[in-house]
Amino acid sequence: MNDNSNRLARRRYLALSIVSPVLILGIWIMVTAQGAAPAIILPSPSVVVSSFVDMFWRGYSGVPIGTHIAASLWRVGTAFIIGALLGIAVGLIRGRVSAVDALFIVPSEIIRPIPPLGLIPLFILWFGIGELSKILLILLSVFLIMMVNAQAGTRGSGLDQLRAAQSMGANRWQTFLYVVLPSALPQIMTGLRIAMGTALTILVAAELLGGDRGLGFVILDASSFFRTPYVLAGIIIIGMIGLISDRGIALLSRRIVHWEGKR
Amino acid sequence: MNARVIPLLSNGEAGAMNAPDLVHPGAGAAPAKAPARPLLEFAQVGFGYNGAEVMKNVSFSIQEGEFVALLGPSGCGKTTILNIIAGFLAPIEGGALLENREIAGPGPDRGVVFQAGALFEWMTVADNITFSLRCAGRPKKERRQVAEEMAALVGLSGRENAYPYELSGGMRQRVGLARALAAKPKILLMDEPFSALDVQTREVLQEEILHIRDLTRCTVVFVTHSIDEAVFLGDRIFLLKDLRNGAFDEYRVELPSPRANAENRLHAAFIKLREVIYRKMRH
Repeated sequence: MNDNSNRLARRRYLALSIVSPVLILGIWIMVTAQGAAPAIILPSPSVVVSSFVDMFWRGYSGVPIGTHIAASLWRVGTAFIIGALLGIAVGLIRGRVSAVDALFIVPSEIIRPIPPLGLIPLFILWFGIGELSKILLILLSVFLIMMVNAQAGTRGSGLDQLRAAQSMGANRWQTFLYVVLPSALPQIMTGLRIAMGTALTILVAAELLGGDRGLGFVILDASSFFRTPYVLAGIIIIGMIGLISDRGIALLSRRIVHWEGKR
Repeated sequence: MNARVIPLLSNGEAGAMNAPDLVHPGAGAAPAKAPARPLLEFAQVGFGYNGAEVMKNVSFSIQEGEFVALLGPSGCGKTTILNIIAGFLAPIEGGALLENREIAGPGPDRGVVFQAGALFEWMTVADNITFSLRCAGRPKKERRQVAEEMAALVGLSGRENAYPYELSGGMRQRVGLARALAAKPKILLMDEPFSALDVQTREVLQEEILHIRDLTRCTVVFVTHSIDEAVFLGDRIFLLKDLRNGAFDEYRVELPSPRANAENRLHAAFIKLREVIYRKMRH
């Protein structure tokens, strides 16, 4: 009975979540079929699909599309994992040790409001236009987001829970490991979703700064030759990566933080 | 030591004095003889937050095996007393002594059961119960065994692998109790643990806590704002009104053994003492 209604609710959710993309696609088809927009501004979906097919069979600018995707995923993946681990570690320590927090507060709050794209010129000067610049740019954004979220998460444990742990003989490290860290996990998981979205945004910008691999490169290159269908195809691939990674993290989150929202 | 404790018969509650044989001040079921060294002792304890005084010159002592109920309205300082015993707060004056040693911070010799449970939602019932053993580095096998024992003691057998959010309010408080008992504390501190439960569940748990206390011979300090609860559970009741002058009233409860008996709620001594305390609180 309960399982059944749960399954029904899930199907309903799935059905409703398909409504908006179908609607957007419908409007897109209608607008382009009416000839309301020139193909160079907004090509029809069928043209975009055929450019997709073309890219998959023949690659883009002599490089298989899989290589472009892999290059982008590698950059974003490396930067995301390293940035998240560092950010979580620093954020947790800042949340627990006020001396460390004091050391970080000024530089981190000065750097945080700077749009990462504003740092591109400096990063080019310091780290060149190769992989390092791209990865560091993404890494910095992920790091800052995760630091803030992990630090906020350390305040997720109630005073009574901390007192309970101490009254059962937990030392500082045990209190951290068994109480503070698990209480911070919900906020950390939310941070990961935000950071992944930001990482993909920065990825495209970072790939605009040079190189001949990656989805950002595909979009930039196609747009400078007015190959709008390829621009859209590249955008859609990035969007799909975003959707899949977000759903993946959300699913993981429900597994890891299974107690969240249950009370 | 108890210079500031006002004995029941000295406060002249006329209507309440008709049956003094039912309520014996100073002569009760306290297991310890007069010269015995107290387990817990408050000597002229004072405490305040940011300069605002909460209590001053509070003195009392509690013998091993006693069940003491701290009764009073919210804000009277009863939870502060509990927090000082637990070591969560330190007195700014006087001394709080456990077995003649100054209390210095929280420790597993004092088990705490919290009003809202304060359970670790990310751990199973078994892991919650054996948290103190885990912190002490006890092996897994021993922890599993203690989890089973404690779960059986509080009536949670079979639910060891459940998570707290899968349990009802009453069962959650059983986990909190088992968790505190698993550390084998010298004294059990309970902060209105049943106040958020429905009446039936609360009464069942009251009977069970007395039963568990008989089994473990544990010393208990129990904070409550319910007169009924204090009379049903306590060997002694400290009625707190305003601790800033250190004064509180003390009552000794005389109910038939075994105390873990629902019938006691209908006993004449129960009803009498409830009336006495009620009149005193309204006074």
